[in-house]
Amino acid sequence: MRLFTSLMGVKQKARARPQEPVPFKEILPLKLKPGVSGKGNKMSNLSCLYEMSILFACLSNSEFQQQPCGKEITSFQKCYSTYTSDKKQKSERDMKGILTPGERNLSAKQLNMLLKRYPS
Amino acid sequence: MAAAKGLFAKCQLFKWNIQAISAGIFQNGMAIYPSFYIDPIFRKEVQQELVQSGEIDQYAHLPTKPAANNQTCSLTFDPDISLFTNYLMRDGRKNFARQLVEKSLEQVKRIQLEKFHKCTSEEDKAKIELDPKVIFHRAVTNSMPLLQLMPVKRGGVKYQVPVPVSHHRSRFLGMKWLIEASREKDKKTVRFWTQLARELVDASNNSGRVIRRKQDLHRQCEANKAYAHYRWS
Repeated sequence: MRLFTSLMGVKQKARARPQEPVPFKEILPLKLKPGVSGKGNKMSNLSCLYEMSILFACLSNSEFQQQPCGKEITSFQKCYSTYTSDKKQKSERDMKGILTPGERNLSAKQLNMLLKRYPS
Repeated sequence: MAAAKGLFAKCQLFKWNIQAISAGIFQNGMAIYPSFYIDPIFRKEVQQELVQSGEIDQYAHLPTKPAANNQTCSLTFDPDISLFTNYLMRDGRKNFARQLVEKSLEQVKRIQLEKFHKCTSEEDKAKIELDPKVIFHRAVTNSMPLLQLMPVKRGGVKYQVPVPVSHHRSRFLGMKWLIEASREKDKKTVRFWTQLARELVDASNNSGRVIRRKQDLHRQCEANKAYAHYRWS
C-alpha cells in the first residue's frame, strides 16, 4: 500500500503539529465546588499506644500477673474509655453539624454549611 | 362524570394510610415494641435513686417496655448471674441453664464450707469467703482479659494486632472462657456444675485454666506489640 501511494505521488503526512499556543478549552467550570465529600474524614484509631506499651512492660516484668500492675491497667482502661466516649460524642456532634465559633477541626457537614453560607 | 369518578377512585388508592406509615417509621426489627419505647427500670434501688435525684418525673409519661420474666426486684436477682445464665443457655432452655448455674453456686458453697471446716484456727477461717455470689463475681473479674488480638490485613499478610477491649466484650470473653473450661471435662464421671464450681473457685483464687488462658492471650499480645500501630479506623 505504501509503495502504491508513493508511486501515485501522494505525499505522506505525519500527524499535524498542534498550533502554538494551544487553544484552551473549558471542559468544567473554572471554580471550586460548593461542598466537600466526607470521605477523607476518617478518624485515626491509634489511641492509647503509649499506655499499652507501659502495660506490656509491667506485665512482662511481673510474669503476666495483674496484681502488681493495677496502676497501669487502670490508666490503660481509662484511656480507652475516654477515647471511645470522645469518639461517640464527636460523631454525634458531627451528625448534628452545630457550628461553634473558633473551632479548628471542622467536620464535612460543618464545612458544607459554611461553604453554602459563603459561596465562592 | 364517570371518568371523574374513576380518577377519584384512583386517588383513593394513593391516599396515605397513617397507621401503615407510622408502623414503617417506628418499626424496630422484629420487636413488637417500637424503637422509642424505653427499657423498664425494675430494680428498687435504681427507682429510689431516681426519686431522690428528682429524675423520676422525666420517666413518668414515657412509653416503657414491660419487664422480662427474669427481671425482678427480688433480693436474689443479680444482673451478672442473669447474663451468665443467658450465655450458658443452649436452644433456649433457660430453665435448665438456670438450674445448672444454681447447682454450681451450691457446689461452690460446699467447696468453701469444706475448706472452712478443715481450718483449725480462727484466722484461717476468717480468710475464707463463703458467699458463692462473691466468688462468682471475683472469678468473672479475674478472668476478664485486658486486650484481644484482631486480624488486620496489610500488604496481603494478616497480622494479629493487639487492641484494647471494651468492658462489655471483656466480660463476655471471661464468662465464655469459664463456660468453655467447664465443658471440657470427663463426660462420664464429672457433671457440668461440679466442673463449673471448680473453675469458679480456681478463677476467684487467680489460678486455673481460665486464668492461664487469659495470661496466654496477654502473652500473645505482648509478642505482637510491634504490630499495634497497624490498627486503623
